[in-house]
Amino acid sequence: MRPAVKPVAARHSGGGRFARVSVMAEVIIKDLKKVYDNDVVAVHDVNLHIKDKEFIVLVGPSGCGKSTTLRMVAGLEDISGGELYIDGVLVNDIAPKDRDIAMVFQSYALYPHMNVYDNMAFALALRRVPQDQIDKKVREVAEILGITQYLERKPKALSGGQRQRVAIGRAMVRDPKVFLMDEPLSNLDAKLRNQMRAEIIKLRQRINTTFMYVTHDQTEAMTLGDRIVIMKDGVVNQIGTPEDLFDRPVNLFVAGFIGTPIMNFFEGCKLLLEDGVYYAQIHDAKFKLDEFQQNALKQNGQKACDVVCGIRPCHVTVGEGELTAKVEVNEMLGSEVNLHTVCDGDEVIMVIPTMNLNVDVSMGTEIKFSTQPRLIQLFDKETGNNLIWYDKESVEANAPVCKTYNF
Amino acid sequence: MKTKMKTSSFIIIMVLAIIVAVYTLMPFFLVVINVFKSANGIVADPIGTTGASFSQLLTNLSNVVNNTNFSFWYAFGTSALITIVSLVLLALFGGMAAWVICRNKTKWSTAIYMVFIASMIIPFQVVMLPLISTFRDVGSFVGISMLQSIPGIVFAYCGFGGAMTVFILTGMVKTVPYDLEEAASIDGCSYEGIYFRIIFPLLKPSIVTVTILNGMWIWNDYLLPSLMLGQNGRVKTLPVAVQAFVGSYVKQWDLILTAALLAMLPMIIIFLIAQKQIMSGMVEGAVK
Repeated sequence: MRPAVKPVAARHSGGGRFARVSVMAEVIIKDLKKVYDNDVVAVHDVNLHIKDKEFIVLVGPSGCGKSTTLRMVAGLEDISGGELYIDGVLVNDIAPKDRDIAMVFQSYALYPHMNVYDNMAFALALRRVPQDQIDKKVREVAEILGITQYLERKPKALSGGQRQRVAIGRAMVRDPKVFLMDEPLSNLDAKLRNQMRAEIIKLRQRINTTFMYVTHDQTEAMTLGDRIVIMKDGVVNQIGTPEDLFDRPVNLFVAGFIGTPIMNFFEGCKLLLEDGVYYAQIHDAKFKLDEFQQNALKQNGQKACDVVCGIRPCHVTVGEGELTAKVEVNEMLGSEVNLHTVCDGDEVIMVIPTMNLNVDVSMGTEIKFSTQPRLIQLFDKETGNNLIWYDKESVEANAPVCKTYNF
Repeated sequence: MKTKMKTSSFIIIMVLAIIVAVYTLMPFFLVVINVFKSANGIVADPIGTTGASFSQLLTNLSNVVNNTNFSFWYAFGTSALITIVSLVLLALFGGMAAWVICRNKTKWSTAIYMVFIASMIIPFQVVMLPLISTFRDVGSFVGISMLQSIPGIVFAYCGFGGAMTVFILTGMVKTVPYDLEEAASIDGCSYEGIYFRIIFPLLKPSIVTVTILNGMWIWNDYLLPSLMLGQNGRVKTLPVAVQAFVGSYVKQWDLILTAALLAMLPMIIIFLIAQKQIMSGMVEGAVK
């Protein structure tokens, strides 16, 4: 019954600063499911293989099941179905304290009646680590996080950022196999959030363990994650690197969720097939698709059909082009200008670097714009799936990734 | 604040406060001035200071403490034991009950909570006679004397004090974020550990409040001990023992008042010592 969890004391005994006895901390999630008492399914058959020392970010809109998934890994929610392995051990029925994980909560969850030192030492004291080792470890971590001068303070005497550090410190002292973070930055103001985000990246390089991080902020997801799991309504929509999600979204949801400003979608477009050559028709303009797209579509046996075309705001060039739009709002941001325009009924946002701007883009003017055909994403009008990157097999296995081609 | 308050309304409030204070403190004042007098002196001038002397106080004290009928130290010890044990049990189990009721939201927990609330509404006088006969029956059934015994009355106090304790502590548990318990369970706390290391310390301000409220009531209570322990029983609390000086024809006012002062004294001393904590206990949690 007892899992193969090595006592923390044993792992603390040797080594220098953060030298870890090589703990493999793979997390394998198989068909993980969460069904509540009222038959609401919060998480549908999630499959995920988190490699050792990987930083995985779960992202999605509110209520998509990302936090529930994390809480099931933590052991705070019962698992309704499926299997969860940490470090090769099936932990479905193992109590949170025996899973050798640490968690940082959105609310920090610092014990208000204990000072910072006791907050950080709490977990080690419960595991009966000798006092001198606790002291050494707590001071070491406090030093790294820059909170040594606050060790005697109670949490309520700390600012939001300092509390956040203490919460991270409390998790760090344990040298857990898996580091879980549930929206740790969402209670901070924008400036502090950016700062802490950078610190988490630094921290990650330093402690080098497996991370599972939940956020609804796609900027956090893109900057922190080795791989990102994007969820909607309890279903994983795509698992991939930040580049995968940005350049190779498998469906409309992923394409729309990742990237700010969001991707422009053109309704009523057509995929044309003329003499074995594919064209994307956006309004009156016809784009001959790139060679890679041609090959991929050919391999998929794609027929001509109605599509939704997606073009990222940063992939638009203005001045010349086949398409025309009317500028409605012009947001000058210094290094770039965001144009909110309307093109034949479709709202189109364009992000144009100011140094490339050589036409009049004041409000009310009509501008010509274009893009490179290889940057056009093609989505099936019926299913919303990307005609090139949607991979049926991986979706059926509930671990959707973008399709790979080798031409 | 003060400067903004109108002078006229300030005066009215002060006058009202003084009237209330005088009204409340008058009995206490009468006790204090009369313990310095002999029995005859009290009857002759109950509200003046005629005949009061410090030596008379010492005489009164020694008469009370050495009175064999009264057995002051025994009654004092009994009262202290009953009060302390009841308070410890109430704080401990009241906190546990509040925690479980608050965290396990089921039909049953809500029903149990409602029973607690309902029992607060029922006046003691309604249940006191059935209670005595029930205790007698239960006592004879389990073979433990529930009447005229310390465990019996402690049990009764835990029952009567439990409702308010659970009510106040449930309100406090609601303010403790659930995240803390989850964090503790990840940190390695057992279920009991979460209660004793996290919940109980965080309930401290409210526990101080309920302990004060229950403590004053249990220490001063006359009716329940007089029913359960009896006038001539083996076990006597201080308020019951004071009764020894009240005869059908003769009331020994000097001894009654001195004994009453002695009975009040511990509560007053505790209040003066713990005043800061009591006051902070009442306002803590009000402002984040």
